[in-house]
Amino acid sequence: MELTRRSLLGTMGALAATTALPAVPAMAADRTIRHFWWGNPNRDKRTFAVIDVFQKHHPDIKVSGETIGWGDYWTKMATQTAGGNMADLVQMDYRYLFEYVRRGALKPLDEYVGKTLNIADFDPGPLSGGQVDGKLYALNIGSNSQVLVYNKKAFEDAGVDVDVINWTRDDLPKVCEKITSASGGKMKGSDDLSTAVDVMEIWVRQNGREFYDADGNIAATEEDVATFWQYWAELRKAGVVADKDRTVILSPPLGESGIVSGATAMSQYWSNQLVGIQALMKDPIGAAMIPHKKDAPYGQFIKPSMFMSLTRDAKDIDAAIMYMNDWVNDPETIDILGLERGIPCSPKVREALMPKLTETEKASIDYFNAIQDHVGKLPPPQPKGAGEVYDTFMRTASDVVLGNIEPAEAAGQFIQDAQDIVDRAR
Amino acid sequence: MRRFLARNAPGYMFLLPWLLGFFLLALGPILASLYLSFTRYDMVSAPRWTGFGNYVYMFTRDRRFWKAIDVTFSYVAMAVPARLIMALGVAMLLDKGLRTISLYRAIFYLPSLLGSSIAIAILWRQLFSGDGAVNQLLAMVGIQGPSWITDPNTSLYTLVVLAMWQFGSPMLIFLAGLRAIPRDLYEAAEIDGTPRWRQFLRITLPLLAPVIFFNLVLQTIDAFKTFSSVFIISHGNGAPADSLLFYTVYLFNEAFKFFRMGYASALAWVLLIIIAAFTALAFLSSKYWVHYENDRD
Repeated sequence: MELTRRSLLGTMGALAATTALPAVPAMAADRTIRHFWWGNPNRDKRTFAVIDVFQKHHPDIKVSGETIGWGDYWTKMATQTAGGNMADLVQMDYRYLFEYVRRGALKPLDEYVGKTLNIADFDPGPLSGGQVDGKLYALNIGSNSQVLVYNKKAFEDAGVDVDVINWTRDDLPKVCEKITSASGGKMKGSDDLSTAVDVMEIWVRQNGREFYDADGNIAATEEDVATFWQYWAELRKAGVVADKDRTVILSPPLGESGIVSGATAMSQYWSNQLVGIQALMKDPIGAAMIPHKKDAPYGQFIKPSMFMSLTRDAKDIDAAIMYMNDWVNDPETIDILGLERGIPCSPKVREALMPKLTETEKASIDYFNAIQDHVGKLPPPQPKGAGEVYDTFMRTASDVVLGNIEPAEAAGQFIQDAQDIVDRAR
Repeated sequence: MRRFLARNAPGYMFLLPWLLGFFLLALGPILASLYLSFTRYDMVSAPRWTGFGNYVYMFTRDRRFWKAIDVTFSYVAMAVPARLIMALGVAMLLDKGLRTISLYRAIFYLPSLLGSSIAIAILWRQLFSGDGAVNQLLAMVGIQGPSWITDPNTSLYTLVVLAMWQFGSPMLIFLAGLRAIPRDLYEAAEIDGTPRWRQFLRITLPLLAPVIFFNLVLQTIDAFKTFSSVFIISHGNGAPADSLLFYTVYLFNEAFKFFRMGYASALAWVLLIIIAAFTALAFLSSKYWVHYENDRD
């Protein structure tokens, strides 16, 4: 065959045409949307069931679901963001919302509200948590609060009788000690929460400060962080919290956590996870608040945490908005979802759910009601780089847990590093 | 020119797929990353030119960069010799005893095939965890082992053991090298009554030098690029306490977790230069210890 420039170009053109051809009618017939969420087995099962329902209602739209655990979720999301192939709809967290909005990765929803997206009856508070700079970027699909999940049976066996809503920082060590000695050391009182960013944040708020101020600078002091690590160091020394080997495995899968594996009687989570944790355990679990500081402001807060966001890369926006709308309004969907993603934002939905709840779900509603008067206001939005600050916190904390560095020195180093990170991210 | 083509055309034809792949798929990203390494780029907004800012920051202010260098160099220094010794040892066993049994070669090669897989990394994490198989074995003889993987003092060694276990590909190359050594040299040495270890030092090692050199260069490059196993074992972030902060893991985190694509590109170029320097060093030093068959005349 004689190869000329023209014949080569011609061949390439023909090739391109043939590959493009079949795609055209396929696109017209099938509409597809991708939904990406972080999950656990229980949540994934529910979500796929919701997808089935949606596809039954809208046979012309194909929904493909992608899921992965929290630990890998943000890495995968960043990769997809970089590659320009984000799913049309992603699950978003308050902690990362501002970062993604400010990078331009999400689309505002305002123009669909009241038209295709029906959220007129939503509680204004939790809904506005999804706003950045006055625009709605994230639809609340569940509110949350921090919770100390405890093993009810272990508490009873050890004869622990404590008001877990009103207890204080001084009560926790005593409870841990009781449980550890009642089990002969086999079950420790609590996970070592030195590395738990969420708990540290509460500690700072109880001291009367936010971790970040409104300008995105670090407002927490060395003192705040040092005393936090010191507090857990003492529990560690007393041998009533989990061993250091367990603690330095940062964010282990749910099944290997202290409470589920039975290594400890308390682990820290978010309230919507109660359902998932109970599903993995035989012993009944209860929900406690993170202990308060006596005569000090409340540190815990209720945050909209499970958001659904429309991404920059979404193509079939109408289909995506229809899907979102079903998530917060369709009765069949709401039944399937239950409270697994947190407390829904719509009073109508909550009312509809009430009669069908399981014991654990009822308990989490009870917990939610009980804490209403014991929480502070939602912290201000977090600056760019907040994700990395948390990583740094966990890393420095594990150095403290391993005994490589004293709490006070580590705290100084951490505050310095954290400020450097947010400065650099600006 | 025509003679050159006639002689070499088949060679270039064979190279063509690689050349096409390189020019169409690799060259663009390589140049882009060089450009990005001089910018601040968060993958969503447009890159901003910062000159040598990334490099200056890396060398003067970034503590984790130096930690990553430290971890990676320690690993390379331990893993490469460990793997090569293991590979040579097994190759010599196979060369002597089991000359005809190719099955063994396949079996010994298997870990190398599996080695970079995610499954093995997860298995490794299980084996060396606090209540993993290794400690259960130790417990049988009354030793209470540490949690190898989560103890920053031992975590790096578990990776070295993993590297040793993946001796397959250098082993095969050693095996080929051993088979190429003329048997009569050993026979002559036998007759002279030379002890085995002397035969090894005076015959095997010198004649194997080119192969050792080849393996050394390849394995060093490989070790610098270790990623997937560490990524899994260290939970993606170099845990515990940055003791497994391999250079590649740090680079990955900077790029895909913290959106610093420009900085990550700069890191990648520095890694390239490091690897190139080590390779050049190996080639320069090879003059003194590697002698080829055809040098002799």
